[in-house]
Amino acid sequence: MKEFDYFRPSSLDECLKLLDQMRGRARILAGGTDLLVRLKHDMIREDNIVDIGRLDELHGVHVDGGDVHIAPLTTHNEIVESGLCDEVPVLKKACAQVGSPQIRNRGTIGGNVVNASPAGDTIPALSVHGAHVKLKSIDGERTIPIEELFTGPGRTAMRDNEILVDIVVPTIANGEIGFFKKLGQRNAMAISIVNIAVILSMNRSSKIIERAAVAVGSAAPTVIRCIEVENLMAGSRIDSAERLWEIAMKIRDRVSPISDVRASARYRAEMSANLFYEGMLELGVI
Amino acid sequence: MDLKYVGKDIPRVDAYEKVTGTTKYMSDLSFDGMLWGKVLRSIHPHALIKSIDTSKAKALPGVEAVVTWEDVPGLNGFGIAIQDQPVLCKDKVRYAGDAVAAVAAVSKEIAEEAALLIEVEYEVLPVVDDPIRAIEPDSPKVHESGNILLHTEIRKGDIDKGFDEADLIIENTYYASRQEHAFLETEDGIALIEEDGTLTVYAGSHYPHRDQLQLSRCLNMPVEKIRVVSSPVGGAFGGKDELTIQPIMALLALKTGKPVKMVMPREESIISYWKRHPMIMIYRTGVKRDGTLVANDVKVYADTGAYASLGGPILNLALESSCGLYRIPHVHIDGYSVYTNNGISGAFRGFGVPQVTFAMESQMDIIAEKLGLDPIEFRRKNILKKGEVAPIGHHITTDVESEAVLDAMEGSRLWRERERYRGTDKNRPWIKRGVGLALSWQGMGLGVGLPDFGDAVIEMDPDGGFIVRVGCVEIGQGAMTVYAQVAAEALRFPIERIRVVIGDTRNAPDAGPTTASRAAYVGGKAIFLAAEEMNEKIKGYASGMLSVSPDEIEIDDGSAYVKTAKDKRVSYEEISSYAIERGGLPVAEGHFDLPTADKAIEGAFGLPHHIYSCCGQIAAVEVNTLTGQARVTDGAVVVDAGTVINQGGLEGQSEGGFVMGTGYALTEDLIIENGVVKTPNFSTYIIPTSKDMPSSIETIPVTNYESTGPFGAKGIGEIGMVPTAPAVTNAIYDAADIRVFKIPATGERIYELLKQKKGENK
Ligand SMILES: Cc1cc2nc3c(=O)[nH]c(=O)nc-3n(C[C@H](O)[C@H](O)[C@H](O)COP(=O)(O)OP(=O)(O)OC[C@H]3O[C@@H](n4cnc5c(N)ncnc54)[C@H](O)[C@@H]3O)c2cc1C
Repeated sequence: MKEFDYFRPSSLDECLKLLDQMRGRARILAGGTDLLVRLKHDMIREDNIVDIGRLDELHGVHVDGGDVHIAPLTTHNEIVESGLCDEVPVLKKACAQVGSPQIRNRGTIGGNVVNASPAGDTIPALSVHGAHVKLKSIDGERTIPIEELFTGPGRTAMRDNEILVDIVVPTIANGEIGFFKKLGQRNAMAISIVNIAVILSMNRSSKIIERAAVAVGSAAPTVIRCIEVENLMAGSRIDSAERLWEIAMKIRDRVSPISDVRASARYRAEMSANLFYEGMLELGVI
Repeated sequence: MDLKYVGKDIPRVDAYEKVTGTTKYMSDLSFDGMLWGKVLRSIHPHALIKSIDTSKAKALPGVEAVVTWEDVPGLNGFGIAIQDQPVLCKDKVRYAGDAVAAVAAVSKEIAEEAALLIEVEYEVLPVVDDPIRAIEPDSPKVHESGNILLHTEIRKGDIDKGFDEADLIIENTYYASRQEHAFLETEDGIALIEEDGTLTVYAGSHYPHRDQLQLSRCLNMPVEKIRVVSSPVGGAFGGKDELTIQPIMALLALKTGKPVKMVMPREESIISYWKRHPMIMIYRTGVKRDGTLVANDVKVYADTGAYASLGGPILNLALESSCGLYRIPHVHIDGYSVYTNNGISGAFRGFGVPQVTFAMESQMDIIAEKLGLDPIEFRRKNILKKGEVAPIGHHITTDVESEAVLDAMEGSRLWRERERYRGTDKNRPWIKRGVGLALSWQGMGLGVGLPDFGDAVIEMDPDGGFIVRVGCVEIGQGAMTVYAQVAAEALRFPIERIRVVIGDTRNAPDAGPTTASRAAYVGGKAIFLAAEEMNEKIKGYASGMLSVSPDEIEIDDGSAYVKTAKDKRVSYEEISSYAIERGGLPVAEGHFDLPTADKAIEGAFGLPHHIYSCCGQIAAVEVNTLTGQARVTDGAVVVDAGTVINQGGLEGQSEGGFVMGTGYALTEDLIIENGVVKTPNFSTYIIPTSKDMPSSIETIPVTNYESTGPFGAKGIGEIGMVPTAPAVTNAIYDAADIRVFKIPATGERIYELLKQKKGENK
């Protein structure tokens, strides 16, 4: 492991100044569950580590208007246990499936997002919830849709002096239902072969879907929204398993996964469809 | 006999220290002035070494020694069976991970940096990675002697005639993966030079006395000058049977005169050390319409990797069990253990038998189904019993509780209620459930022609308690507890006042390796024999003290008394004072030679074994046909254990074995491509977690008294994982109608099989 200088700012302002001074030469440390693995494998270019663990203003959940604000240092377990996060149920389900109790106690949602792994479990969930991320630097702040944050595997649109300060997740509307599913090689401590998040607003009695959001992870360089599938479902009713298959196949055609030791690209593509199919049946859409 | 300790619910003697974290493993030790060692390993699977330049590494401040092959004072080779593995490579590397040089430095970081400064010039050679291709004469050679480490051929009856008699012949090829031991503690330890110039090596292993012997050869040092302490071990499962880091640490300690510590990082451990042999197994089995097995033609290719270690014996043990525990008149077995550049394969719980059991027990289920026979009935019809001729041609002369195991399987809750576990999930019809079983047997001990003995020493201590010394190791299995129980029972003495000293060449006598399911059996028996001698000595002292003849003395619970006058008694404290006055405390020795077969199988070294253990398992599985993933939901383990010395220990072995077997069946695959490990950590090499456990595993012992063992016990350390994989894959077949020929049966593999089947049905 290489040597680095370690900073632990005690206020966000101090942190922003530090980041600005060390543009591109500093790496933020939150829970460290991703960063430390990389540090150990000498995969980190930067020589300075900025530990944001003491910045209380970046921690916690609150509701404002129709949005749940999740500060980036909030851990997966805190989200799982937060009553306020009942309003963002698909995200809650995703957080509950991250790693293991130890990882969920240590790993933060901000780390999961900025890490920008194609397999990051909270990302498809945040996408279907319509989440935005707020980025801040000494120059000011900006808020962008979560999908726009990602430019490639492990790459984000963040500027080299910016920090993620808030994740804004609209609360789920009345009558909306959804699911998060991940397929890993085992039931815990598993990196997703594929994961999928879906939110539907569906009329309970007529089963007509008014609006749908579908996001798939680990099946392309970044999370993908399946707009065609969403449009296909909007305003219609899925009246048979055959019809559901047809829709699922569109997801398979939309993804562009890679092959690695965990799974082949072909399997990943088929699983993106099959997880969708399974999740929709479990939701009772037919 | 009324037993007080054996078979009783005795808590582990090392439990408190272990759960409170105070147990000192070898990796926890540290000494003043200690240096850190680091190995430079080859990144090439196969290459010639053209030059090694250590000058830059030596010049780095903080570096105290850099060693290469030139620094090996003795034989630059080790290996339990054949010493063909260099301590440090001289002119050739044979796998990516082969040790080329090593550094000792004042810190871990400096040692790591220095290792990178060693310049090695290689000439890369073609990689030998396919064991079947490797035995062709024109294949590039891993060793000059050729790529066949061992070829064993065994014939019984007339195989052609057997197939002529068969009404049904089933032929299939099976593939078993390379499994990683995944012990909690990696290969870690310390070597140091004592004030008197002797060498002490602390490193977890299965057999300190053999480590001592191997080190003596490599270091050109008499065994008396080497002490090896190898217990307690933080898990091994066979992976620390062969030497690992010991000779390199010793070289560095000798060179610097200082203690040298090494701790393998997980990835280096996985890349560099032993694995279960991957095997390709081609089976052709002939059976009559009524279910009588008549012929079995077995071909096995075992990928032993770059060096011999135990590749030969592992092949032979696999072949011995390759036809299952069945009566088959016509047999042809042809096995190859083949050198490749695919890492190194060696000992692993089950020693080759899990692989062939996967193949044979799949064949058995396939045949049973084709003939419309119940899988237990079909096995019962062919099951081997004591007195009959085994598939490799010898008579089974000891009790192997094959029928009792089948009966217990049939009577188990899981099998009786299997209908409850089978079928399609009502609410989620893509979930299919099934139940499968498999039977296995395995020879215990090292086999015919090999020295296989155990020594134990019992000493009375000055307070009238006892110290029990036996060379086997505590590897996590609970050996210390079993030894304390056996000693307490045999000495008729309170267990709390017995101290067990094991796994140390200076302080415990050689009792052979803690392998081959033999530690409780051999070590326990040697202790039993030593205790008998000790009891005689005690009676002798007591007779002197009480002025009666020794036969009139009885002993119990820490005192000796006159049988006919129980109030005439002396305590062991008094006996110890009495003994000290008369020249010293009593010491007793026990020596046990493991009984071996009286006739060897020609051309198959080590075969046959004499004592066998037998285990049957049942697995309930659910298969998600949308993802292909299978999950084991329930299990039952029936094991021929002889007398159960410690029920908790037995359950630990059987549950742990079953879970390890589940991982082997479903997820564990150490993938090597072109000689390079692709899954070098626990993020990619997938072992089961607590969330992957079945909801229950029932352990059902069959407790027939094994007359040669301590209090009638038999070894059970390995067999608990041997039949799991075929029980699971047979259950997958029952659930989803697909036959798994390649383990692990990952989600993707099962999914492909489901797709193929769908295609066929169209
Ligand atoms: C054993 C194990 C299992 C895991 N299992 C899963 C899993 O199942 N699913 C999954 O999705 N992930 C998993 N992970 C990955 C990891 O735990 C999660 O991504 C976690 O949420 C990362 O959070 P962290 O706080 O530890 O991030 P860190 O490691 O501290 O940071 C990760 C990255 O984000 C950057 N960063 C962090 N916070 C900010 C911020 N506020 N602003 C700007 N940049 C920031 C850091 O600079 C770094 O580049 C696993 C990891 C391990 C070690």
